[in-house]
Amino acid sequence: MNKQLFHIFRNTPLGRETFLQSLYFCSQTGVSPVVYIPEHTKFLMYFENDVVQVDLDDSYLNSPETAESHATELLSAAGITVRFLKPKHFTASTLPDIKTDFDFMCCPRSISDLSSKIGLGYIGPRVRRIVQSARFPVLLTSPVYKPWNSITVFFGGSQNAVNAFRLGLRISRASGRPIDIFTRIESGTEADYRKLLEAAGLGQEVAETVRAWHFYDTGRFEDNLYEVPHDALIVLGAYGHGLIRDFVFGNKMERIQSTISNNMLIAGPKYTATL
Amino acid sequence: MNLSKLWRYPSNWNIFRSDDRLLLILIAVIVGTCSGLAALALNRSLIALFEWLHHLRIYWWAFLLPAVGAALSSLFLEKVVNEAAGHGVPEVIYSVSRYGGLLRLRSSFSRLISSCLTIGTGGSAGPEAPVVMSGAAIGSNIAKFFALNDRQRVTLVGCGAAGAISSIFNAPIAGMVFTIEVILGEWSAVNIIPIAIASVAGTEISRLLQGNQIVFEHVQFNIAFIDIMACIGLAVLCAGASVLLTRLLKGMGRTAGRVKAPLWLKAAGGGCVVGLIGMLMPVVLGEGYHSIQAMIGGTFSTGLAFVAIAVLAKMAATAFTLGWGGSGGIFAPCLVIGSLTGLVYHRALLTIWPQVPWAGEGCFALLGMAGLVSGILQAPLTAIFLVVEISGGYEVILPLILVSAVSTTLCHYLEPASFYFKELVERGHLLRPGTDARVLTDLSVSELLETDCVCVRQDMVLRDFIQILKRSHRNHFPVEDSQTGQFLGMIHLDDLRPYLFNPAIYDAVFLDQVMDRSVLTVNLDDDVSEILRQMDVYNLFSMPVLSQGRYVGMVSKAAFLDKYRKELMVQSTQ
Amino acid sequence: MKLDINDIARSLDLPVNTLDRWVRQGRIPVQKSGANWSFDVQVLKKWAAARNLPFTLPKTGPAAADENPTPETLLSAMRRGGAYTGLSGVTVEDILASAAECVPGLAAPEKSELHDTLIERERLTSTGMGKGVAIPHPRTPLRAGLAQPLIVTCFPQKPIDYNAIDARPVFVLFLLLSTSVKIHLHLLSKLAFCIRDDEFVRFLQGMPAAERLFSEINELERKLDQSELL
Repeated sequence: MNKQLFHIFRNTPLGRETFLQSLYFCSQTGVSPVVYIPEHTKFLMYFENDVVQVDLDDSYLNSPETAESHATELLSAAGITVRFLKPKHFTASTLPDIKTDFDFMCCPRSISDLSSKIGLGYIGPRVRRIVQSARFPVLLTSPVYKPWNSITVFFGGSQNAVNAFRLGLRISRASGRPIDIFTRIESGTEADYRKLLEAAGLGQEVAETVRAWHFYDTGRFEDNLYEVPHDALIVLGAYGHGLIRDFVFGNKMERIQSTISNNMLIAGPKYTATL
Repeated sequence: MNLSKLWRYPSNWNIFRSDDRLLLILIAVIVGTCSGLAALALNRSLIALFEWLHHLRIYWWAFLLPAVGAALSSLFLEKVVNEAAGHGVPEVIYSVSRYGGLLRLRSSFSRLISSCLTIGTGGSAGPEAPVVMSGAAIGSNIAKFFALNDRQRVTLVGCGAAGAISSIFNAPIAGMVFTIEVILGEWSAVNIIPIAIASVAGTEISRLLQGNQIVFEHVQFNIAFIDIMACIGLAVLCAGASVLLTRLLKGMGRTAGRVKAPLWLKAAGGGCVVGLIGMLMPVVLGEGYHSIQAMIGGTFSTGLAFVAIAVLAKMAATAFTLGWGGSGGIFAPCLVIGSLTGLVYHRALLTIWPQVPWAGEGCFALLGMAGLVSGILQAPLTAIFLVVEISGGYEVILPLILVSAVSTTLCHYLEPASFYFKELVERGHLLRPGTDARVLTDLSVSELLETDCVCVRQDMVLRDFIQILKRSHRNHFPVEDSQTGQFLGMIHLDDLRPYLFNPAIYDAVFLDQVMDRSVLTVNLDDDVSEILRQMDVYNLFSMPVLSQGRYVGMVSKAAFLDKYRKELMVQSTQ
Repeated sequence: MKLDINDIARSLDLPVNTLDRWVRQGRIPVQKSGANWSFDVQVLKKWAAARNLPFTLPKTGPAAADENPTPETLLSAMRRGGAYTGLSGVTVEDILASAAECVPGLAAPEKSELHDTLIERERLTSTGMGKGVAIPHPRTPLRAGLAQPLIVTCFPQKPIDYNAIDARPVFVLFLLLSTSVKIHLHLLSKLAFCIRDDEFVRFLQGMPAAERLFSEINELERKLDQSELL
């Protein structure tokens, strides 16, 4: 069945960059985009055990009369046919429900706050909630359109990291781009990490598909990140820590996203990968 | 799973695994207590705000107070929490019927604050709908925290609503009945028990914190047969008042919708009008429980004409408050209008037949309340139990039932959908459990999909097709474009039958010459009810399903019947 | 036996996404946390029974393989039946009696029963297919005796007047015994295909030895299967 990527169209130059990024992802992986041109600054996403109200900032409603033609222009340039999503159900008259059975969703780093805040190290609160609740991985785009030529999976050893690796494999197979793994050794040895993937039944894939597995155990994590190719799509898993734990101990995802401006595909805790 | 996380997932504990009733009862206590507290908080702060502003009412500019309150409440909803205006009960019912009662965390406090601002400054609205919304959202979020499933979450949403109503009226049965009758629409033992427990918890928390007092002082009435007969007239009057109020609210909402102005300005405008009416007739201001007390006690000492005008004034004030963007519910205004209507009726009876020993006017005020609540909300049981509980008198029960029944029936002729359901019915979203609409909503096209049709290409010749025909079980063959894979049309075996036995044309006919291009298709994300409607209209038995222009499977009535039946069996047996 | 959610879906005859929704909605006693499902098969059975839903656990092992057997081939059925020459008899009844005698693995009373049913079938219409070939068979599968279908090839001493559709005397009989109607049709259709081939009929007229006959059949059957696959 056809895979779908959900994109909220923002009719601004910044939104165009994000949209180009989505289209690039779609054309590389054979996913069809589903584009939503918002008519209200808020909508609800009902997930399995959560409901998220997404408050868009006002720039999403910019000049609605040109939005559809702008989007269609970019789409036809990419040679992709698309269906625009029209919400069918409304919780309240100005509060549409958006279905959540997509396979991917594209988000700029912030959708509810002013775009001037968008920068490294900042992910808006709504985007975080979506990542936490969604069954689909979220594509966090870099601020400007940036094609990627390889895939780098961050593998830290957790179950979610295994899922992230599966996701990376899927993208790599669909796009034909090489895949690298990047591991910061925190406990144990290289062999332990390899065993984890073998235990998940992925040993063969690691041997056949993965171009290189980089291990780092010296230096600051942030310095290690310089080794990630600048034109790689980063795939990583986000674990569902509590707020307090993140606050005290910090979070790998935060450190990665605040250091690198590559495109990131984040598999949240609810994401269950199939090969 | 690691032990420190286990407490977050109680439904995975072994004792709750096969039967979760006990679990629901335990959580219901928490939910009932929390929502009871929320209701009390609103009630207390309303009274505090009302009294704090009371000394300002003597100034000429006091009419601006409701305007300021309504504007602030509208601003709060729009800018701070980014929620839609309205009392919120339809949202709760919508979410219960479609999304297993998922509600936002912010809903658990937003309406409390906004309605406090509206009502505390004198806007004519009720605090009940806001506390129901809050209670429901509290229940939903507690269920979310414990990772419960939809059915359990819906029950807890009901618990929240029941706890809130029980607490605010000190009326446990009314809370229970309101929840079952209005919010859930389903009477089943699995739901009723936790909801009853939550009602007890909500009531108890209110009794602990502000004492066990019935809302309105108990007055003894002697009800004779003639009073019961007279009730029928009152019921008719109440029904008329209900319909009038409903239409007024609807009309006011429409008028306000046409005005191009910021929401807060509209709310302020409505508030101004309410303030002006309130200057002349203070009875219309606020939620109005004080005046109800006076009416039941028989100390409401104005004449027939004044009371009749007060009915209309309260209706107008309510319409201006709610229609123009103030925040609050309709329940309390219903009670006030109801008791005023009862009073009008009583005074009219006295004027016409002064020699008949009518029961006290307080009795008619109570009956009027029940009449209005059953008329507007179409919830006769709620009305009956609420009035019995808040007045502490059981002796009015016979006329009470009569008035409620007649008023509900009459209103149903003129306004088929109740105030809470109207919006949902108009959008086709009132999906009660176990109904056809509900089953259809739950089924999705992807669950009905049959994928055993063999796809063919448009440039195949008939000879190749016959080989495919040998292996296929179905009479329909979707045709895909050989380059793009897009769906082009269908081949129906019936159309081909005459040519199948003519080998001379086996190599001369291409499939695109015999396929049906004008076939009706459906999309993977279409609603099942819409597909069924199309099947009925065009007399189809099966339809191809497309996703992004590609064929993904068929839906047929045969598969549909099978799935529908299973769904119905599973939904209707708890 | 370890069951997963797909097995449960199969035993309830439901798509997995319906089951997933039921779990989410709390309609079925299955718990889910993350990607893990937990359930008790006995509880599920009781649950299904209370709702009148079918619940049959999927078969495993050899039983599961039986559901989709490889179709019977002409060759193996013929090998099982064997080929016999020089059968005596001048009437249809006589020759069928001798043919019934040749069927391997049948006791005497079953053989006479078979003979009766064959005669009964001949009375309706002759099974002489033309070109001197007859395919005698009972109308319904035999009640007892056969585990697998078989075809007995019989060459009579002298061609027999069989009342065939083209009135030519019959020189070869394929006695077709099958275990089910479906297999019967399958084998009959294959046999009929072979007989359409005039060269094969000429080959049969030479009363070939069993092994040569089987290799020729094998060849024809392979051709037939290939043409169907196209």
